[in-house]
Amino acid sequence: MAEGVLSPGVNLEAFSQAIAAIQALRSSVTRVFDCLKDGMRNKETLEGREKGFVAAFQESLHSVSRDLGELERLSNLVGKPSENHPLHNSGLLSLDPVQDKTPLYSQLLQAYKWSNKLQYHAGLASGLLNQQSLKRSANQMGVSAKRRPKAQPTTLVLPPQYVDDVINRIDRMFPEMSIQLSRPNGTSAMLLVTLGKVLKVIVVMRSLFIDRTIVKGYSENVYTEDGKVTDHATTALLHYQLPQMPDVVVRSFMTWLRSYIKLFQAPCQRCGKFLQDGLPPTWRDFRTLEAFHDTCRQ
Amino acid sequence: MGVTCVAQVPVAEGKSVQQTVELLTRKLELLGAEKQGTFCVDCETYHTAASTISSQGQTGKLMYVMHNSEYPLSCFGLFENGPCLIADANFDILMVKLKGFFQNAKANKIESRGTRYQYCDFLVKVGTVTMGPSARGISVEVEYCPCVVANDCWNLLMEFMQSFMGNHTPGIPSVFGTKHDSTYSPGDTMVQYMELFNKIRKQQQVPVAGIR
Repeated sequence: MAEGVLSPGVNLEAFSQAIAAIQALRSSVTRVFDCLKDGMRNKETLEGREKGFVAAFQESLHSVSRDLGELERLSNLVGKPSENHPLHNSGLLSLDPVQDKTPLYSQLLQAYKWSNKLQYHAGLASGLLNQQSLKRSANQMGVSAKRRPKAQPTTLVLPPQYVDDVINRIDRMFPEMSIQLSRPNGTSAMLLVTLGKVLKVIVVMRSLFIDRTIVKGYSENVYTEDGKVTDHATTALLHYQLPQMPDVVVRSFMTWLRSYIKLFQAPCQRCGKFLQDGLPPTWRDFRTLEAFHDTCRQ
Repeated sequence: MGVTCVAQVPVAEGKSVQQTVELLTRKLELLGAEKQGTFCVDCETYHTAASTISSQGQTGKLMYVMHNSEYPLSCFGLFENGPCLIADANFDILMVKLKGFFQNAKANKIESRGTRYQYCDFLVKVGTVTMGPSARGISVEVEYCPCVVANDCWNLLMEFMQSFMGNHTPGIPSVFGTKHDSTYSPGDTMVQYMELFNKIRKQQQVPVAGIR
């Protein structure tokens, strides 16, 4: 059925009446030909037969013209389907009668609906994600290519001596945390932070920005529980962000890290217990530095 | 080497040693621990020989030589309140050479054998303590691998032990008191085992028939 072609401009009742009128017209035309086929009826005189035949023929022709006139009137009432139906060429696909083997039109409709939904959801997601910007450079989004080379962030190009000084100052700030700096590959600094006898953290930096952290236990190489703390540390380095003042960032990251000195001693603030699924409270809140289990945090 | 606590679990009322061990292991398995093989800790006693006593005028000291399957290449030698020596496995042969000074009291050999379980960062060993042919008691050792400072994680250890030992959770071991933030070492575990074995030895001089 050509449902896609119909629009509110069409008078449906007139349409059904027009279809009935077509049927009437067809039957009257059939009657004309029947009348011709039957020929003259058997009557007494030749004149009477001829007259009867002509009268019947005329009557059937009249009925044909009447029906045709009715049909024309109704077709004017039906009205035109609106020109701006949105399907254009794909609407012609809907006229394909072979629906079972090649359901092209219904698949096409579904594909369109799906892609529209996808576009809508993507728009929502990008709006939400832009609220929490994860870019750590000082460049703003949407700055034209012409302007970008001029506004180079100066914090990315820092002399290594300055980085060393900042790290040394932070090292002296916290007594129980010792920081060792080395540059095994080029100018990026690699810090080995030893936190009391609890943890060892490897921090890879790119000038004064923290790039990556790996947390290990004090005595052995890799632990399952520190797999969790490594994840938390990565979350932290993404959380503490200030493109213009990277030394503040490093300081706050180290302060957050230092709260792990009581990894095994502090119970979780939410459930009050030490262990949850065999793990101690490994999450430290970014503002209050309180200990929580990974499953207990908000 | 993580912080370890060794404790004794009393035999349940009306049950044998075997059944109590089974109860404990079932509770552990319910918690989600995985079986990881067996363990064995044994202890041999040596008396200082009579000749040395008379020359020095001191009372005889008891020396314990212990082995732990967790550290298969090591041998531990300890005195009751004295230092703990962590030596190579050849130490046993050395003791044979020192027959003149230290005599083996073969009847006092005591050992604990059982299964080893792992749950997250915890290692739990539940063993039957046997002296000769008879089973004398049950030992449970709980090790928390990531932490190396004893006093830090005592509360954590206790919470874990309560989850499967219930009322039989022990108090803080005496070795923890002397540690004061220094790193925990395997020698401390052996001291705890030695104290446990001595306690069991004094407990039952005559093995009760019902226990077997």
